[in-house]
Amino acid sequence: MSAQIWLGLVSGIAFGFVIQRVGATNADKMARAHLMIEGGIPKFMLLAVMVSAVGLVGLQASDVGRTLIIPTSLVATGIAGILFGIGWGLCGYCPGTTWAAAGEGRMDAILALLGGLAGTAVFAQVHEILIPLLYAPTNAGQITLADWFGSSLAAAAVLVAVFAVCIWGISRLWERD
Amino acid sequence: MDKNQLSSPYWKWIPAAFALAGVILFIFATFGPPASSSGFVAALKGAIEPLAPAYVEDKAHYSMSGGPGSWVFAFVLGMAIGGFIAARTFPVPVRDIPEIWEKRFGNSRIKRYAATFAGGFIILFAARLAGGCTLGLFISGSTQLAVSGLYFGVLIFAFAMITARIVYGTTGKEEK
Repeated sequence: MSAQIWLGLVSGIAFGFVIQRVGATNADKMARAHLMIEGGIPKFMLLAVMVSAVGLVGLQASDVGRTLIIPTSLVATGIAGILFGIGWGLCGYCPGTTWAAAGEGRMDAILALLGGLAGTAVFAQVHEILIPLLYAPTNAGQITLADWFGSSLAAAAVLVAVFAVCIWGISRLWERD
Repeated sequence: MDKNQLSSPYWKWIPAAFALAGVILFIFATFGPPASSSGFVAALKGAIEPLAPAYVEDKAHYSMSGGPGSWVFAFVLGMAIGGFIAARTFPVPVRDIPEIWEKRFGNSRIKRYAATFAGGFIILFAARLAGGCTLGLFISGSTQLAVSGLYFGVLIFAFAMITARIVYGTTGKEEK
């Protein structure tokens, strides 16, 4: 097996383990997060991004690693975000957690995974129609906060500040951790 | 904080976030931006290619994706293994129907499985349109300070919260 497969496997095992331990693969806890009852999972996600963003600025300063910015399409990213939110709120799983939750042995996650394969197959079938229709016309390109704030260090500082305010807001507005 | 939470086997959000950030940075250093919805494409490509090689070659969504020999397929397979190991070493038993769902809709497996199948369908269709999911677009994107990831993140949280309100009503609220 190639090095990439081993690295992917090890990374996935670690990732799946951590998201199970924090409760993100438990659709009950995810629903309570969406219902503003338990704030632990959204705060976990935001803090993980904050730490990763600062760490990535460091990695890039030392010329380690690879980045790839996904473009922003006002219409396609927007419609996709709305649809994704509806599906996430309905089933309590997102694409990554379905794999870990299916591995746990949750039957409802296995069905979500099968539904996901069906959704992927249908999208792949209509890709040639939807991408030119929804994605391409409002594609603003690979824009980042660094383009807006001058440097990636300044942009990371802005992201950390905004996410910190979101975490504080969740602590105030959600019933408990 | 009450006693119930102190004895919870779940990790607290702060140490768990540092643990996940460590994994994410390891992935950026050894591979690149982590993603999981493209793992579905890789899995399907592997399943369809031997049966209909011409179709896979013809379709942009498969031809631009890796197959089952790619990092991302190994990653999602690893997540399933990680979930398996984590659940086998955890005191809380795994359920097929979440408590809150059972409280709201009863213990019909058909109903729950139909809902998660539909939900899974929607999230993957949407993720493939956006070019990523919670991990591949929101977490990876925001870590790289990408506007796409932040825009997607705001929408998915907002609409998941609205949808959960509609699905569950006040279920879960009364047990404080």
